[in-house]
Amino acid sequence: MGFILDIFRFDQTKDAMPHRDRIEVDLPTNLTVLDALEHAKAEIDGSISFRRSCRSAICGSCSMNINGTTGLACKTPVSQVLKSDNSVAVDPMPNFQPMKDLVVHMDPFWDKYSRLKPYLQPADKDSDHERERRVSPEDMKKLVAVANCVMCATCYALCPVVSVDPAFAGPAAIAYAYRFIEDVRDAKRSERTAQIADDYLWLCAHCYACSYCPKHVDPHDDIIAVKRAAIEEGQIHGRGPRHALVIAKTIKATGMLHETEVIQGTVGRFNIKGLIKVAPFGIRLAMAGKIPPLFLKPVPKVDEIRTIFDTLEAPVLS
Amino acid sequence: MTTVLEAPKRQSKSAQMKKYGFFPGCVAKESCKELFSSTMLLAEKLGIELVELTAASCCGASVLNDTNKDVARVLNARTYAQAEALGLDDVITICSTCTGHMRAANKELLEDEARMGQANAILGKFGAKYEGNVVVRHLLWLLIDDIGLDRIKSMVVRPLNGLKVAPFYGCHIIRPESVNGWESSRNPHSLEDIITAIGGEAIDYAGKTRCCGFHIQLEKDGTAADMVGQNMRMAKDQGAEAVLTPCPLCHLALDGYQADSAARWGRTDLPTFHLPQLVALALGVDPSLLGMNKHIIGPGLVLQEHDLAPAHVA
Repeated sequence: MGFILDIFRFDQTKDAMPHRDRIEVDLPTNLTVLDALEHAKAEIDGSISFRRSCRSAICGSCSMNINGTTGLACKTPVSQVLKSDNSVAVDPMPNFQPMKDLVVHMDPFWDKYSRLKPYLQPADKDSDHERERRVSPEDMKKLVAVANCVMCATCYALCPVVSVDPAFAGPAAIAYAYRFIEDVRDAKRSERTAQIADDYLWLCAHCYACSYCPKHVDPHDDIIAVKRAAIEEGQIHGRGPRHALVIAKTIKATGMLHETEVIQGTVGRFNIKGLIKVAPFGIRLAMAGKIPPLFLKPVPKVDEIRTIFDTLEAPVLS
Repeated sequence: MTTVLEAPKRQSKSAQMKKYGFFPGCVAKESCKELFSSTMLLAEKLGIELVELTAASCCGASVLNDTNKDVARVLNARTYAQAEALGLDDVITICSTCTGHMRAANKELLEDEARMGQANAILGKFGAKYEGNVVVRHLLWLLIDDIGLDRIKSMVVRPLNGLKVAPFYGCHIIRPESVNGWESSRNPHSLEDIITAIGGEAIDYAGKTRCCGFHIQLEKDGTAADMVGQNMRMAKDQGAEAVLTPCPLCHLALDGYQADSAARWGRTDLPTFHLPQLVALALGVDPSLLGMNKHIIGPGLVLQEHDLAPAHVA
């Protein structure tokens, strides 16, 4: 019985560098990592700092790195993560500045969230505040999954794009944008898609790291839906939407994703400066003898592919 | 005592060979032709037949969903209908993105009658129908499930001599787990198992399940290169001499962008092999046929150091 909590320790007011404490906890391993932290704080070292409130995966406070991967401490049984040396390593969430021990500065996450204007903005907002605005069960269904988001920032901490480029809105903020964009009571669809595109909606790398959401919100599907909404709103002039639409265009024309046309279509055929910037990659490819075809012969029965696009009225780059 | 010498039962070549539907994907037909050719050479070595689905379309490459919610799924249903018509329900891919997106489309079709109905209504316009029998797998899974690590090990004639290889999975072959689920997406080990079976040493590093940034290479200058640099730095710091990936998109990103990430992450210069290249090399395929000279970061020196190939062929 018992195991070791291997805890990241740091106090921004005192420490230049973090250190680690290994604390023996005499508890059964079927308890959660949060139980272990609470025990350590109550019985062994009262200075250990971490956020927690509800202890039942509703408040979203206790997200942290547990053995190198992020999740809610209150939802993670020790037995599930115990390493072979009988220890569990706990660290602050990555992609955030540590404040004290497992507590991080959440400001960048909240800033991106508040930029969304995360409240309903109905068309007749000023006429009658108290009027009931009904939503059909069908329309509400679209919002059920994202309504489970507890803003624990697990997805933000796991996002590899945020880790190198903090300008990216991150999965949670885009999922929340979806929550209002798809709400039939909200009248700011176009403003909302434009705003989130300014926060680099199209910089999502499709990696599905956010599929580890402890509340099964799966922001990735919402991110795709917001991109489609942006295209529907006619916001097609950035590289992101052009990239998606030129890929659609080449598949409809040839059945294949035509690499050389996709590069030109995304950057812009007449965007000389942009093309010069991507040129080194192309030159390196060419020097290695990797020359993708300039023209592609359509696959057999390409008419069938065009029928699929036309029947579904799927958009392509014009 | 008489010795009964019984001639081994000979089967016709076609009966011996297990046949698979083969979906090479766009990149293996365009900028990474060496992936296509090395896959075919490996298949020959393994005694399996990969029958290319030549009339198939692009899987949607994870991007087509951004334009329309149905079109990628119906395009894939068309591909599956072709595979079924050819009697090739077992479809093999050689790209992580193809694997993930074809499996996702198949899951949606099989789990949702309305979506299957929608797809077949459109396929019906040109006389096709998808019955729902196709299973999409990656070559990596075929190697382990159908060939077996022991058999691969026994076929090795040119062991990698301890070459330190960093596995790089690529996202769409492991995530989301609800779509792939063949192995743990947080702690996968199939590539490590392959590397060990062919005589290499698998390097453990946190970047192996992270994103290569391929899909945003054109979106914003520098971000994708940083993702490459971050991952390759981790691999290099753990002592990697080369990278092995089951995905040509990861290959293009890692091979093509390490030069751009050097300013922020330091030089890494790790040659990046396609999965079938390194397995075929260990199984004795002539290295000069594997297209390793088509890489931006040439693996020649690394291979020469481990007595695996003369430097000039790669």
